[in-house]
Amino acid sequence: MTTLDVRTGVDDTPPLFTVAEPRVFASGHPEVPERSQQWLVEAAHEVRLLGRGGAGFPVATKLAAVRRGARVVVNGSESEPASWKDRALMRRYPDLVVAGTALVGAAIRSRRMVIAVSDGASAAALRAAVRRHGAPIQVHTVDHGFVGGEVGALINGLNDRAPVPDGVRVLPHERGLDDRSTYASNVETFAQLALLAALGADAYAATGTRAEPGSSLLTLLGTERQGVLEVPNGMALRHVLGAHTGPVLVGGYHGTWTTRDDLVVDRPWLRSQGIGWGAGVVAVLPEDTCPVGEIARVADWLAGQSARQCGPCTFGLPAIAQDLASIVAGDVVDPDRLRTRLGQVAGRGACHHPTGATGFVGTGLSAFKEDVRRHLAGLPCGRPVRGVLPLGAAR
Amino acid sequence: MSSLRIDWTRCDGHGLCARLLPEAISLDEWGFPVIGRLDDASSADVRTAVASCPRLALRVEK
Ligand code: SF4
Ligand code: SF4
Repeated sequence: MTTLDVRTGVDDTPPLFTVAEPRVFASGHPEVPERSQQWLVEAAHEVRLLGRGGAGFPVATKLAAVRRGARVVVNGSESEPASWKDRALMRRYPDLVVAGTALVGAAIRSRRMVIAVSDGASAAALRAAVRRHGAPIQVHTVDHGFVGGEVGALINGLNDRAPVPDGVRVLPHERGLDDRSTYASNVETFAQLALLAALGADAYAATGTRAEPGSSLLTLLGTERQGVLEVPNGMALRHVLGAHTGPVLVGGYHGTWTTRDDLVVDRPWLRSQGIGWGAGVVAVLPEDTCPVGEIARVADWLAGQSARQCGPCTFGLPAIAQDLASIVAGDVVDPDRLRTRLGQVAGRGACHHPTGATGFVGTGLSAFKEDVRRHLAGLPCGRPVRGVLPLGAAR
Repeated sequence: MSSLRIDWTRCDGHGLCARLLPEAISLDEWGFPVIGRLDDASSADVRTAVASCPRLALRVEK
């Protein structure tokens, strides 16, 4: 692995590194030509570009659906506490982000472009890049927590409403910022669009897989080398995890724990295997921490993140977190009731939070089932809970 | 096929719908409705349940 960023100590950004020829991490001050909406739609379609937030929606479809004059919202709020890739991108390559935002804005003749971030260092880097570029892009600092980073909630917040998801979902391309048609996506999507416009579809697709050309940013956690990594799509996770064996968390705190060792970075393929790439977090747990305790800690945090609008999420997630805390403490817990609870909370809320949170917990309990079994049998491992998986820390 | 949907931001879990449509709606341990099999989402019973929800949280979706 090659370390790219040696500015450690400048701020708290973790190291940036690559395992192959970097794209995003080689962009510097990119020359991004103007492109029409149609060009962008066709090119995004050709390289099968998927949104880089959680849902992985096809970029071409969304871009084609927005109207002339539509708003642009760049989601850089990175509300996933285990993720660093968006902040690393905005702090170290703000010109690429701004170029991508201006590119989309010009293509759809946007009346207003907003980049939403939740940390001061990213905001400062972006503002400086906006001044260098000259496009009328606003950088907004938001503080809405995990669920507030969901795009509907984020847009509600920018519209001066409560930053929570709507009960009946309206897609941003229908009604978004200023209640107008809006192209909203994760900040990495805009960086990828800038690269696509600069390189053209063929050169963009020179790396990656057929199903998903290009590269991806990911946050690597719990391994010997932690930080933000750019990999060509198609890279085997084994390759970036080094010697580590044992369960891997893919996607983040709405993601999936798996014991498989044949996974590759390829969203469409991962999805076909029932695994979402989500926020691009890849995490493993070192030997010296109690995995059940680590999962319980995150479950408790997730329960606290519920926007408390929807009953099953408001009551179910704390009940599940309590069950996990009891397992860690060696108290009696009915594992069947816990399974039922996980099934009863999934899918029953206005946003993805209950589904994502129960997926994280349920797959974690399966992946570490030996440890869970020993805890339930009154023989906990005795290892401390080190807190390897970060909770929402200061930004 | 149409189905019964709940706006979770509105539903307060008093369970009236489960009493009106016991064959299709049960309640979870916290009292919130769980939609089961619904053969005909356009039946009069379903319409009554939708119209009776005090929080206007139920709707039939195509
Ligand atoms: S599902 Fe949970 S987090 Fe999402 S809106 Fe409802 S209460 Fe809030
Ligand atoms: S009647 Fe309406 S508010 Fe009451 S439980 Fe059913 S859906 Fe919820």
